[in-house]
Amino acid sequence: MASVPVPGGGSKKKVAMHDGFLKHAGYRWLKIASFIMLICIVSYLFIDVSPRHNGGSWYGYLLGTIGAGLILWLTMLGVRKRAMTSGQWSLKAWTSAHIYLGLSLIVIGTLHTGFQFGWNIHTAAYAFMMIVIISGIVGIYFYVTIPQALSNNRDEMTETQMLESLRSLDRQLHEAAQPLSAEHAALVLQSLEQDPFGGGFLKRVSGKYPNCATRAAQADLRRERAYQPRMGGDDPLDKVDALLQKKEATLGRVRRHLKLKALLQVWLFIHVPMTFALIASLSAHIISVFFYW
Amino acid sequence: MTFIVRQIAVTADGREIIRANPFEDAQIGVGRNAANAIHLPDLAVNPDHAVIRQLDDGQIEVESISGQKFSVDGRDKMAAKIDPAKGAELGFGGHVISVSHDSDGIVLTVKRVEALSDSAEDREEGAIYTLKGLLPGKRISAWSFIGLVLAAFLIWPIYTWATYKGIEERPDGFHADTMWSSGKLSEAHHSLEGDCQACHVDAFVTVTDKTCLTCHEDDAHDHADKERLLTAVGEPEGFEKVGAAFASAFNKPPGRCVECHTEHEGEGAMQPTAQKFCADCHEGMDGRLTDTKLENASDFGISHPQFRPAVLVQPGGKNPPRKRVSLDKKPDEYNGLKFPHDVHLSKTGGVAQMGRRLSAKYDFGDSLACADCHTPDSNGVRFEPVDMKEDCSMCHSLAFEEIGSTVRTLRHGEPEMVRADLRAYYRSTGPSRPINLGGMKRRRPGAENDNRVASDYARAVQFRPSRANLAIEQVFSRGGACFDCHGVTPPTARGRVDYGIKPVTQTDRYMHKGWFSHEAHIQEDCTSCHAATTSDNARDLLLPGIKTCRECHGGEFQKTADVPSTCAMCHDYHADDGAPWLIKEQQKDKRKKPDKVANDNDALKPSDKLTVKIRKQKIASR
Repeated sequence: MASVPVPGGGSKKKVAMHDGFLKHAGYRWLKIASFIMLICIVSYLFIDVSPRHNGGSWYGYLLGTIGAGLILWLTMLGVRKRAMTSGQWSLKAWTSAHIYLGLSLIVIGTLHTGFQFGWNIHTAAYAFMMIVIISGIVGIYFYVTIPQALSNNRDEMTETQMLESLRSLDRQLHEAAQPLSAEHAALVLQSLEQDPFGGGFLKRVSGKYPNCATRAAQADLRRERAYQPRMGGDDPLDKVDALLQKKEATLGRVRRHLKLKALLQVWLFIHVPMTFALIASLSAHIISVFFYW
Repeated sequence: MTFIVRQIAVTADGREIIRANPFEDAQIGVGRNAANAIHLPDLAVNPDHAVIRQLDDGQIEVESISGQKFSVDGRDKMAAKIDPAKGAELGFGGHVISVSHDSDGIVLTVKRVEALSDSAEDREEGAIYTLKGLLPGKRISAWSFIGLVLAAFLIWPIYTWATYKGIEERPDGFHADTMWSSGKLSEAHHSLEGDCQACHVDAFVTVTDKTCLTCHEDDAHDHADKERLLTAVGEPEGFEKVGAAFASAFNKPPGRCVECHTEHEGEGAMQPTAQKFCADCHEGMDGRLTDTKLENASDFGISHPQFRPAVLVQPGGKNPPRKRVSLDKKPDEYNGLKFPHDVHLSKTGGVAQMGRRLSAKYDFGDSLACADCHTPDSNGVRFEPVDMKEDCSMCHSLAFEEIGSTVRTLRHGEPEMVRADLRAYYRSTGPSRPINLGGMKRRRPGAENDNRVASDYARAVQFRPSRANLAIEQVFSRGGACFDCHGVTPPTARGRVDYGIKPVTQTDRYMHKGWFSHEAHIQEDCTSCHAATTSDNARDLLLPGIKTCRECHGGEFQKTADVPSTCAMCHDYHADDGAPWLIKEQQKDKRKKPDKVANDNDALKPSDKLTVKIRKQKIASR
């Protein structure tokens, strides 16, 4: 570390843009967090607290204060992320610190408990904290693995383009289905009228849409036409079939995109509300300790 | 009349383009087929969906010819009559046809009102790719959780506290503030588990000693004066300042019962006082509590002063004066008795010989042993005082007369009775009658001799009672039965025989601040600690010093010692006359888990076991 030259105070630091939030500044915050965790564990083992470690000893108070402060600071990422800046305290640096210091909270919080758990507010606060941290870990995993999959799936299409592509296919289907009989038209209409973004949360995150009307329409048409002799010439159903197939492929891409985007977001729906549950239970935890002092 | 069909199309920029076509037919068709007068490019519409025909009365009739319904003013119909003058709105799939009437004829205005597909509808593009609408919003759930958690874990318990404030005892059942309990209470306080306010009386006020003393009015007493205790602890050092800062910032005064008696540490019995608690004050205490008479102690193996038994200053009385003297000063003690242990325990010599002679009767064996005279008390901890009748009189007989087969003995412990008995003896018995008095046997010739014998005898008879004084003097003087063992006070005046016995005090416990149980040391020989075999004087204080104890007992952290011992093994913070808490708990545990392989010895009381043990040692030593 000492051999790394420190850039002059006046010159603006170059930020390596390709570094992710995990590797930021050569894993600086990983190192800091590891150091903190090590200090905590070693001091826990070597400091003799009588009669035994718990949250109420001076050491417990110290860890508890540090932990509570850290939780509040970690929560501030929600405020901080709305103002993007670069440099030493860039959002990336902040996020990196958020992740690694958040992980160190596992050690700080657990040692603060002194491994005394029970059915009470104190353990509830700990449980909320662990839910927040674990959902955060899941989030990190998604943030690390999903963007590549998302990019591969998108194939350089934007979300607007995806929607436009669907609209275009729908228009073409509508057009092509005009000559169809009422029964066939109804099948196509099913496909047109189904909301490609609908289906609820479970379908969104699983990417499985068993009631896909487009697929059903295509399957029905094919089943019906399987034994019909080819008329040759311009059978409008051929065109409709081709368009349905195209639409299904596009829907597949959109749905994969939706699934991946859902995964990128879904952990936050636990992480954020649980953070506030944590802060509320932390307040109750602290107040109760002093209330029944 | 003509049908005028107006088709309204909307351009991409929202402008409406209206195209009107007149139809002179009496009946026009509605359908997806381009052949229809009203051509609706709508997949929800049948190729030939319905017909609209004029009726004679100026009304029009709409009738489905496909079997598919259409709507009239929002209601599904198969057929309907409509007065164009009144107007109506027909719905076919995503299209509406407004029926109206003007001077040119019946106007049918056709307009697409629904998008041709779902995806074509207006969408908020920023939101459709997110989970918005699929899950409860983060903000709303965050607020909900805050509300729920605070209500359940803060407001409800505080409400409970407020409800039962000042009430002596809470009813059974769930009380919300028990959710604040950081752990189970100890066994003794189990009944208070649901009644937080039994101890936590006022909000934000720490548990005070007063609350403890509400119940513990008799059994809780101070270890020392509180001011002195706080002085002895000293100022917090290093990181302890952190704890002290927290405590003083949040009004937690030091020196309260609960500082040591930590609760909510889980079910089970209260833990014995940790050595650290003792050492906190007693390590280097003389530096802080400068006027203390106590010496520093922090660990039995490393730092513990020599024992200072309470040695008799003078025997006698109910509470004879005692003084604590360090064993290092080799104190001796006069308890009023004379007793050479060495002579009695010797394997050779008169005592051993006498023991062997009386062995058949008293089971002395080849020589005397400790248990022949010393009897453990009922729980085996200490020894009963040696009793003359029980423990000495087998050899040291006080017999002075035999009447028939009954042996009369002097009364032990009652010098007046001794004197009285001896006087009575001499009064009621005559001197032995000379064999030559009267009769013809072995008489010396001559009457003079007869007279001399008779007068000698008469004089002896006359002076017989006064011989008692001599006997009394002998008993209380060197060589006499009393003098052998006791200190004797001389007569109050010359010629008198009111001898007295100096008072005797046998000490059963020398160390009142520490605990020692002989029963716990049953595996040891008496002589491994008490140097009785070499003691030729009753003044010898046969107590072992700390060095002897340390042969087996190390400090708390000397795990290599045979018995690593914390302070609590011998001492108690709130000491009473009984065993320390630690020992009591051990004994409780033993009672809970009785030894399965019980032998004869285990059925006996501890004191019996001790006696048996001592006797066995005796037999082995022969």
